[in-house]
Amino acid sequence: IVLTFATITAAFAQLVVTGKVVDETGAGLPGASVLIKGTLTGTTTDADGRYSLEVSNSSSVLVYSFIGYSVVEITVGDRTVIDVDLVPNIQSLNEVIVVGYGTQRQEAVTGAVASVKGDVIREIPASNISQALQGRVAGVEMGQTSTKPGAPMQIRVRGSRSLLASNDPLIVLDGIPFAGSMNDIDPNSIKSVDILKDASATAIYGSRGANGVLLITTHQGQKGQKAQITYNGYYGVETIFAKYPMMNGQEFSALRAASAQKFTNTIDEADGTDTDWQDLIFEKGMITSHDLGVAGGTEKGRYYFGAGYFREEAVVPLQNFSRYSIRASIDQEINNYIKIGFNSTSNFSITNGNNSPAVGMALSRTPITNPYNPDGSMKEIVQEATSGAQWVPTNKRFRDLNDKYIDQTRAYGSYNTIFSEVKIPRVDGLKYRMNLGLNFRQSNSGSYTGQGVFSGVPTTVSTAATGNSLTTNWAVENLIMYDRTFADKHEVSAVLLYSAQQEKFNSSRVTARDIPSDAFQFYNLGRADGVITVNPSEQGYNQWGLVSYMGRVMYAYDERYMISATFRTDGSSRLAPGHKWHSYPAISVGWNIAKEQFMSTVGQINQLKLRVGYGETSNQSVNPYQTLGLLSTRPYNFGDATYSTGFYVSQLPNPSLGWEYSKTFNYGLDFRVFNNRLSGTIEYYVQNTKNVLLPVGLPTTSGVSSIIANMGETQNKGIELSLNGLILDDQDGWTWDIGFNLYANRNELVSLASGQTRDEGNWWFVGHPIDVIFDYENIGLWQQDDPHLSILEPGTASKPGMIKVKYTGTYNADGTPTRAITAADRQIMSMQSNFQGGFNTRVAYKGIDLSIVGIFKSGGLLNSTLYGSSGYLNNLNSRAGNNVRVDYWTPENTDARYPAPGGVGGDNPKYGSTLGYFDASYLKIRTITLGYNFKRSLLDKMGITNMRVYTTVQNPFVMFSPYHKESGMDPETNSYGNENAAVPLSQNLRRILTIGTNTPSTRNYLIGLNLTF
Amino acid sequence: CNSILDEQPRSIYTPDYFKTEKGVHGGLTGMYAHLRYIFGNAYFYNSTLTGTDEATWGASGSGGGFQIFDLSGAGLITASNSDASNLWFNTFPNINTANGVIENASAVGVSDALIAEARFFRAFDYFMLVQTFGGVPLDLGAGELKFNTSVARNSVRNTVPEVYTRAIFPDLLQAVANLPETGRVTGGVTKTLARLYLAKAYLTYAWWLENPNNIPTYPETDRTDPDGHNAQWYFQQAYDIATTAIDNPGPFGLVATYYDLHVGTNDRNKELLLYADHTQTSELYNGSSLSFGSGGDADNFAVWMLTWNYTALQSSKTSWASPQTVNSVQREAAQGLGRPWVRMAPPHGVFENTFADKENDARYDGTFSTSYRGNWPKAGVTNSFLYNANDLTVEPGDAILTFLDEVPADAIDYSNSVYKSNVGAGVLPGRADYVIAPNAFSRLVYPGLWKLGTYRTDNAGGLGQPNAANTRPFNIAKFSELYFVAAEAAVKGAATLPGKSAYDLINVIRARAGKWRWSNKENVEKIEDHSADVVAETPATIDINYILAERSREYYGEGYRWYDLVRTQKWEEIAGSYTICGTAVGDRTPVTVTRQIQITNYLRPVPQGQLDNMNVSIAEKDDYQNPGYRVNE
Repeated sequence: IVLTFATITAAFAQLVVTGKVVDETGAGLPGASVLIKGTLTGTTTDADGRYSLEVSNSSSVLVYSFIGYSVVEITVGDRTVIDVDLVPNIQSLNEVIVVGYGTQRQEAVTGAVASVKGDVIREIPASNISQALQGRVAGVEMGQTSTKPGAPMQIRVRGSRSLLASNDPLIVLDGIPFAGSMNDIDPNSIKSVDILKDASATAIYGSRGANGVLLITTHQGQKGQKAQITYNGYYGVETIFAKYPMMNGQEFSALRAASAQKFTNTIDEADGTDTDWQDLIFEKGMITSHDLGVAGGTEKGRYYFGAGYFREEAVVPLQNFSRYSIRASIDQEINNYIKIGFNSTSNFSITNGNNSPAVGMALSRTPITNPYNPDGSMKEIVQEATSGAQWVPTNKRFRDLNDKYIDQTRAYGSYNTIFSEVKIPRVDGLKYRMNLGLNFRQSNSGSYTGQGVFSGVPTTVSTAATGNSLTTNWAVENLIMYDRTFADKHEVSAVLLYSAQQEKFNSSRVTARDIPSDAFQFYNLGRADGVITVNPSEQGYNQWGLVSYMGRVMYAYDERYMISATFRTDGSSRLAPGHKWHSYPAISVGWNIAKEQFMSTVGQINQLKLRVGYGETSNQSVNPYQTLGLLSTRPYNFGDATYSTGFYVSQLPNPSLGWEYSKTFNYGLDFRVFNNRLSGTIEYYVQNTKNVLLPVGLPTTSGVSSIIANMGETQNKGIELSLNGLILDDQDGWTWDIGFNLYANRNELVSLASGQTRDEGNWWFVGHPIDVIFDYENIGLWQQDDPHLSILEPGTASKPGMIKVKYTGTYNADGTPTRAITAADRQIMSMQSNFQGGFNTRVAYKGIDLSIVGIFKSGGLLNSTLYGSSGYLNNLNSRAGNNVRVDYWTPENTDARYPAPGGVGGDNPKYGSTLGYFDASYLKIRTITLGYNFKRSLLDKMGITNMRVYTTVQNPFVMFSPYHKESGMDPETNSYGNENAAVPLSQNLRRILTIGTNTPSTRNYLIGLNLTF
Repeated sequence: CNSILDEQPRSIYTPDYFKTEKGVHGGLTGMYAHLRYIFGNAYFYNSTLTGTDEATWGASGSGGGFQIFDLSGAGLITASNSDASNLWFNTFPNINTANGVIENASAVGVSDALIAEARFFRAFDYFMLVQTFGGVPLDLGAGELKFNTSVARNSVRNTVPEVYTRAIFPDLLQAVANLPETGRVTGGVTKTLARLYLAKAYLTYAWWLENPNNIPTYPETDRTDPDGHNAQWYFQQAYDIATTAIDNPGPFGLVATYYDLHVGTNDRNKELLLYADHTQTSELYNGSSLSFGSGGDADNFAVWMLTWNYTALQSSKTSWASPQTVNSVQREAAQGLGRPWVRMAPPHGVFENTFADKENDARYDGTFSTSYRGNWPKAGVTNSFLYNANDLTVEPGDAILTFLDEVPADAIDYSNSVYKSNVGAGVLPGRADYVIAPNAFSRLVYPGLWKLGTYRTDNAGGLGQPNAANTRPFNIAKFSELYFVAAEAAVKGAATLPGKSAYDLINVIRARAGKWRWSNKENVEKIEDHSADVVAETPATIDINYILAERSREYYGEGYRWYDLVRTQKWEEIAGSYTICGTAVGDRTPVTVTRQIQITNYLRPVPQGQLDNMNVSIAEKDDYQNPGYRVNE
């Protein structure tokens, strides 16, 4: 058929079409293919992207294509000059994936690796990439640890496996393990993020990669590219997503009246007053970011320079985060054999007001407190029942503090990589490379609270503190790499590595009381009139080192069969002598089924790849010195003048502390069908972790509270699904694509120490996930006619309206319970979600595009310290501050969820902790963005190659969330462990993310501009 | 390159440090410091007083642990809610430290006197434990009384006689032998202190052997002494040791007046043998905030529990015809005021029986705050006088409210119809202060506990830091108790020395109680000697009940009471019921409450936290628990 067609067309006259093919940045694309549709005739573009091609007639259709870009078809018509823009195709078959110590075509990857492009990350403007990645990658969970400006998220790749050791993934920036925090990386500088999920992929990073690896690649120039300047900027307004659901004046007065304790109004409180303290304190916030970059290249080198500025002002007065960053990257070929380069990222950040008490004040002042004097002026102090005099918090009063208050952290980080690469002469494909990483991070914090500031007692003495920390880190990697293809069909890639790294950290902190002048703030604590304290528990030092040997071989035959094998040995300073070294293998295989001959007859399948991997990794991420035991200190005074520091053993030494290690099986299937329009990946994995590093809580009678030991076994197994579909592909100008990911992880403690199945002290239970709550199960409230109240809850204080919890004991023959509720009735409640994931969609018409990103989570438990007892905001007795707005039990309102005011219990209702547990499910739209790309024809005249304006709304709405339904609040966690609660949570709850009284979550409206010229 | 893998900590101590001389010193300081986590902690304090004749739950203590410990039926004491658990959690780590110091000390060449300090603290902790929980383990995992550095996830309880005869008595005997007369440091342990505890341990063990009311012990054991002595022998030992200590006081002795014993200016006086120290001079070494205490850890916040909310009191800036009310007694860091938590309250019997004599015996005035005086200028209220009861004016320092000693002949007008005290207090004709009669003291409004009150010198003429935990030492042992121990032993049949009969000994205490230097109630100097009057009231024959009553007069609110009643097995007899008015403003109807004290309540539950961390079966956990508190029974 082709032959016939070609013969016919040959009969017509010949035309010459010329033009230029450019990429998304407007730069010429060399080597792009231009083909006359239906023929074998065609050409490729030159170094500038230009082409010239003879076509037979005006009805010819030209097909423009380039690896990694979407194919464009254009009918010639009467034109002789046809310029074409090619846009990157994220589903491209030949996409290159960074796999650590090298890259690989996606087609050849055999491990579980997910890749996210920088553009996708920038769709969600944020201070760091963890926020931008949320909901984007199956199996990667981003948990919000704080709503304060600049706060990074907790990242979990395929769940938690360690009970004590870190579960944080390794971040590798441009090839070198990164010593800074997520916040030190400007999202605008990122070209791509590749996430290694399974052990066969992470094995090359050994112990440091046990929790997954995030490989971050930043922008570089291109060889031969002329200088190109890019600018990305946005500005936005932050508004409170939802106020904390506190009672208004009328509701609080009603609660006080209903409370059995009958606390009376103070002199500053009156029924009928309705003060909204949140309105008085919170304000609009602001977020802005500006980045400028220059990229270019010469014949033998390439460079990139960039500078960025980011600032976020919270809705809490005086709370903000600013970051200034610069980045430079150069590499140069010295001759045919030697290449050198360096990569440097530095940033300076200022965080203000992170410890501001404003939120707590906004929630705890009672709404019936009148902050105004009769003459309309603002009171400075108001009286509260039982808690006495309180500072009157208003936005203006915070702003007017000026020199009287500061809480600032200034940090400077510099992360540098130097490399040299030598091609070994006469051995094709063999080279030697040395990477040297030199990292430095310094942080200086200072705080000052002037006399009487935030205190109900105006004479409260001023306090100041200053702290410094310094982290230095070096890493050397020596690599021998061999890459070669034999006989067109045998691709071999091998790496040998020896590396060593060491990190040293020290910190100090000094506090002082009674600073004579507000102007001194924390800048000269020596001027303090009061005591200057250097608390030994606030001075820190640690140093750790890691030495590793690694070898990896990847082999592919005919692009059909792939195998990758890795072996690594790690030695860690953190573990006990004699137990410092551990070795482990990893192997994975892949089969590109679609490339088999027998598949050639099956249409519509562009790719079908099966992957199976097995690998071991290990984890040494206990803090240094854990093998040595610990004395805790207790400062003490003998009279007013003699001070001394006491000790006791709090942690036993463990001379046999060794590696925790995991064995992972991973099965994956990648597919692309319908002319690459639908692609996806399905993964299943099982990971067993043994010799888990565990802080074992000991009974008090052992005299010691804990020991770190290798005990127990955990398992994670899960399934991950990612789908990307191109529904409309430039159809009448319309493009529509959809991405979707879903994952479910099942975490289980398989065994604990010495056959133990329940460790109630540590909340560890065999057969249950690591993260559980061990508490009574709230099954409603006791009602008037419920039987057995006096048996299950003996005592005259127990009455209808109190919280009813599940009874697990036996019953007498007459149906009555045999005993009261006791500790034996506590239940194990899993925090684990059923599944979670994210979705995104983008619709484009000509220059206009609209994209939406959302995330969801189903099931699991959410702990809100706002509603639970540790927040002291839901004690339902009106004793001091305000109460969360809840529907509480009264004899007339018996179907309430919350107990009767002032009932059984001390400061909080009995079993009050159970009021904080909610179904964690939610579906939430994270961003909606509307953008416009200006026509190039318009821009060319201005010398601009690319220009885009957009407007984004972040956090627009939440759906299907029981917590949101109850509170109106954002259901995402905002606090880590025992932060932001009035009283510290139990030790066991501190590892679990919670919703506490942090800076309110915001809804942001942004406008942005991207420019390239 | 392997040096990269070596570790050298540079900012922490590891347990090896105990094997150095400085480490031994640090271990000893740690033992003193551990006292803070028990004594002055309000929840442990609750377990020592609430449920006795000294205290019941206060208005803000309803529903929770304070009401539960009252045993008046509101709820049961359980392993999970017991406030006595604090003792368990803080003593065993300290016992292990003592084991380590005793084991390592001779190797590093420290003196026997230092080792004796460790022995004292080990004995002290075991003595507290055995009284509170019954028999407790002597083997922490490395052998009996050995320093444990092994992983022990099980525990076996010894019996009460084992704990006394293998740990407490041998340690205290060595402590008596080797401790100095004068403490090594301010508040350091001494020979006299060791004698007091040895005498008290003998006395307590003698009662245990005698077991007059047949109270069960746990773990179950015969009431026979492994050393072959009987109760009488131990009573005699108690008497002998106590009187020896009285005759060889070293630097210790009774302070001249009861007021001087407790006034904040005179802390750490010569009568005090042991205290959990605190200071306002260093937040770090105080172990607790100097501006706001949240009530936990090392905070000395016990006194807040027995402090009522006087800050609600109101006077008027203008005549009561058209009042402009103001809080006339503001929260102040002063000994009679302080931070009000209203968790505990004294029943009427305290005022009617224990402190029946309020005239001669200075101890009532030296224990309670009975007059609340205006301090509004310190809060920035500029009025030079305020209108109070009867529309009479009061100046700063005048009484706003007085808790009367007796029910007055004239009826008090409690209506609060014109002069609104805001706390339900009444008015007597001609008096500018509001008044409340003893029969109207309630769970909400009652005299405060002056003796433990806040005292600071940095108020600078203002209200100071009333919300900080107390920076005064919390007193644990006094020289005066030697007289009580000897007297109690004498009552129980110990042969007495001439001039040291029970009557003689008690009258030493009572004679001092008659000496006045200051009147808290009138806030004026009062140098008077009513010793003869007080001694004249002493009955010729002293019995146990009189000893107990006298102990309550001397040590009211200091955390002795539950231990005294349990030792003498008089708990139900003396504290089986009490009378008090209710929780609401204006509640003036005395209500008599009967307590439900079970025989199993004589031992506190082993804390749930201990059981949760034990790697044994549920049945074994129940077996470890004291009877009456088992989760599955």
